[in-house]
Amino acid sequence: MNRLVNFYHDREHYLLGWGFILILLLAWEAIPRVAVLPRGLSLFFTTPTRVIEAFYQLIVENKIQHHFYVSSVEFLLGLALAIAVGLPLGLITGRSRTIDALVDSYVTVLNATPRLIFLPLFILWFGIGMWSKVMIVFIGAVFPLLINTHEGVKNIDRVLVDVVRSFGANEWQVLKTVALPNSVPYIVVGLRLAIGRAVLGVVVGEFFGASEGLGYMIASAATNYKVDVVFVGVAIFMGLSLILTMLVKNIETRLSRWRPEEIKTF
Amino acid sequence: MAFKAIYQEHYRAILGTVSVLALIFLWELLLTFVIPLNPFFFTKPSLIAVAFQEQVIHGALWNDLAVSSRAFIWGFGLAILFGIPIGAVMGWRRRAEYTLDPFLTALYASPLVALAPLIIVVFGVGLFAKAMLVFLLSVFPFIFNTFAGVRSTDRLLINVVRSFGGHEKDLYLKVIFPSSLPYIVAGARIALGRGLVGIIVGEFYAASEGIGFAISRFGDTYKLPEMFAGILVLMIAAVALTEGMRKLEDILAPWRASQESR
Amino acid sequence: MAPFIQATNITLVFKPKDREPVAALRDFSLEVIRGEFVSIVGPSGCGKSTFLNILLGLLRPDRGEMALNGARITGPSQERAMVFQEFGLLPWRTVLANVELGLELKGMPAAQRAERANNLINLVGLKGFERHYPHELSGGMKQRVGLARALATEPEVLLMDEPFAALDAQTRDSMQAELLQVWEQTKKTVLFVTHSIEEAAYLSDRVIVMTARPGKTKEILKIHLPRPRDYEMRLSPEFNDIKATIWNTLKDELVTGRDDGI
Repeated sequence: MNRLVNFYHDREHYLLGWGFILILLLAWEAIPRVAVLPRGLSLFFTTPTRVIEAFYQLIVENKIQHHFYVSSVEFLLGLALAIAVGLPLGLITGRSRTIDALVDSYVTVLNATPRLIFLPLFILWFGIGMWSKVMIVFIGAVFPLLINTHEGVKNIDRVLVDVVRSFGANEWQVLKTVALPNSVPYIVVGLRLAIGRAVLGVVVGEFFGASEGLGYMIASAATNYKVDVVFVGVAIFMGLSLILTMLVKNIETRLSRWRPEEIKTF
Repeated sequence: MAFKAIYQEHYRAILGTVSVLALIFLWELLLTFVIPLNPFFFTKPSLIAVAFQEQVIHGALWNDLAVSSRAFIWGFGLAILFGIPIGAVMGWRRRAEYTLDPFLTALYASPLVALAPLIIVVFGVGLFAKAMLVFLLSVFPFIFNTFAGVRSTDRLLINVVRSFGGHEKDLYLKVIFPSSLPYIVAGARIALGRGLVGIIVGEFYAASEGIGFAISRFGDTYKLPEMFAGILVLMIAAVALTEGMRKLEDILAPWRASQESR
Repeated sequence: MAPFIQATNITLVFKPKDREPVAALRDFSLEVIRGEFVSIVGPSGCGKSTFLNILLGLLRPDRGEMALNGARITGPSQERAMVFQEFGLLPWRTVLANVELGLELKGMPAAQRAERANNLINLVGLKGFERHYPHELSGGMKQRVGLARALATEPEVLLMDEPFAALDAQTRDSMQAELLQVWEQTKKTVLFVTHSIEEAAYLSDRVIVMTARPGKTKEILKIHLPRPRDYEMRLSPEFNDIKATIWNTLKDELVTGRDDGI
C-alpha cells in the first residue's frame, strides 16, 4: 500500500494532468452509450472511437493525403516568406532608428488588426487557389517575427557593444558576435508565435474560398454533418500545432539557458 | 536650425506621419496616372475616402460595427468571468495546476478556430455562435496570465500580511490580486487580439451582419472601395482598443516594467 | 522580574522534499526582559531567523514552548511586529498606505489610521513622503517605512531580522543611530538578528551568541556601555574589547559551520 502511495507522490504531476485528459476522453466516449441523446443533438455528436475510425477510412480511401499535402505547402511557403521578410526587416528596424520610425506606424496598425480581415481582398487578388492562403499565412506570421527580431536587436546591452567595439570590431562583426546571439532567443519566441498565426491562416484561409486542403475538408464535412471527419481535421491541426510548439519551446529553453530573466512566453 | 531641433525631439512622429502620407500620395498618383484602374482589382485612396464617407457616416457600417461589438463583448466578458478564476485557482493550488495544465495548454496551443464551422452548424448563425467563438479564443490568455500572476506573488509580502494578522481573505484582496493585476491586464491585451480573430472568422464564415460580414460581402460584390473602407474601420477600432489596453496597463501597473514579446 | 519573552527548549526540524531533514534549532532557550534590546548573532544557518519567525508566529516549533508575558504564542498577533530584511513593502501602496497596513487589518477606521500613521512617518523622518511609492524610495527610506509600519500597531515586541543588511555601509550606520533614537522614545522590547558583531555590540543591552546549526545558545554577553550611545563609543577601546569577546566566542562556530560546503 505504501509503495502505491509513494508511486503516486512521485508522479502526482503527470498522473493528475494526463488522468484528467483520459477521464474527459472516456466520458466523451461514454455519453452516447449511457444517455439517450435528443434527436437534434445526436446529429451533431461523435465519439473518439468514431473519429479514429473516420481517420482510418480517410487514409485507406486516400482522401486525406492530398488535403494534407496542400495545407502543408501553403503553411511552409507562407512561413518561409514570413521569415525571409520578417527577420531582415526586424534586424534593420532594430539597428536603424530612422527606418524604424518610418515603418513603425504600419507595423503597429497592422499588428493590432486581425490580419484575417484581408482574406476577402487576397481572394480577389489571388483567387481561391493556393496563393491567397500563402499570402494570408505570410501576413499573419510576418509580424511576430519582425517585432520579436526587432526587440532582440534593440535590447542589446550597450556595454557589450562597446566592449566588442573596443576590440576593433566593425558593424558586421558587432552584428555577428553580439547582435545575433543576443537576438536568437527573441527570434525563437517570434517563430513560435508565427507558427501559431500561420496555422490559423491556413485553417481560416481554407474555410473561406478554397477547394482543397484540411480546412476545406473540415468546412465541407461540417455542412454535411460529418462531425467525425470534422474532428479528424481538428485533431490533425491540434496535433501539428502541439508538436511544432513543443519543438520550438524546446529550442527556446535550450537557447535561453544563459538568460537570467524570463521572456514572457504567452 | 530650429527645424533640426524639432526633428530631433519628435522624429518618430514626423517620420511616421510622413511615411503614411507618402504612401497615400504615391498610391493615388500611381493609380490615377500610371496603372489602369481595373475596378475588379484595384482602387485608390480618393475612392476609398468617398466610400468611407458613404458607408460610415451615412450608412450601415456603424450598425455592423455595433453588431460585431455586441457579440465581442459577450464573448470577451465571459472569458474574463471564467478565465480569471480558473487561472487564479491554478496559481494558488498546485493540485489544480497539475490537473488542468496539460489539458488547457494543449487547447491554448491549438487553432480552436478549426471548430468554427462545427459551432456554426450546431448553433446557427448569430450572436451566440459568434460570442462562443470569441470566448473560446480569448479565455486562454486570461487563464494563463492570471495563473502566472498569482504564481509570481512575492512570498515575502504574503508573510508580511500574515504577520500583521491578515486572514486568507486579506491575502487575496491585499496581496495576490494587486500583485497579479499587471499580468492580468497584459493577458487582456493578448486576449483582445485573439477575440478579434474570433469575431472576424465567425462573421466571414456565416453571418448576416457585422463588420466581418460586410467586408466579405463587399468582396463578393467586387466593391473594392467599400471593402477598404470597412477594413479601415476595423483597423481604427482595433488600434483604438489595443492602445487603450496599453494605456490601461500603464495606469494600473506603474510600478512594474514589463518585458514581453507582443 | 519574570521574563517577558520566554523560549524553552525550542526544537524545529525542516523536512524538505527529497532531501535530508535539517534541524534548525534544537533545545534552544532564551529569556528576554521587558524593554531590553537584545541582539542575536551566529553563523549562517544557525537558526536565528527561524527563531524570530517562531516568535512572530509564522512558524510552529516541533517541540518546546514560546511565551510572551506568560501567554503561549500560537500564531501571529499584533503584539509582535517584524521589520524584514528585504523590506516587504507592498509596491502598489503609497508610504502612508503601507504604514497603515497593520491598522487596516485590525479594522481601525480611516481617520484614526491616518493620524497614527502620519505620526510614525514623522517619527522615522519621512515627513513629506506620504504619497510616494516604494519604487521611488532609497533602501534606507524603505526600511524606515518598514519600521514605521511595525511600530504602527503598537506592538510589545519589535522583531528585526537583519533589517540593515541590504543597505550600504553609510546608510546602515545612520539607520542604526536612528533606530536607537526611536527605541529610546518608544521603549519597545527589541530582538535584533544580525551578522555584524559591531552592529550587535553598538545597539544592544545583551548579545546572544548562537552555535552553528542546530542552534543553541553558546554565550550571553552583557554590554556595559552607557546609554544613550553615540558614534564615538564605537572608536573606544572598551568597544573593541567587547567586539573581541564576541568574536572569540563566535569564531569557533564559524569554522564548524563552514563544513556545510558554503
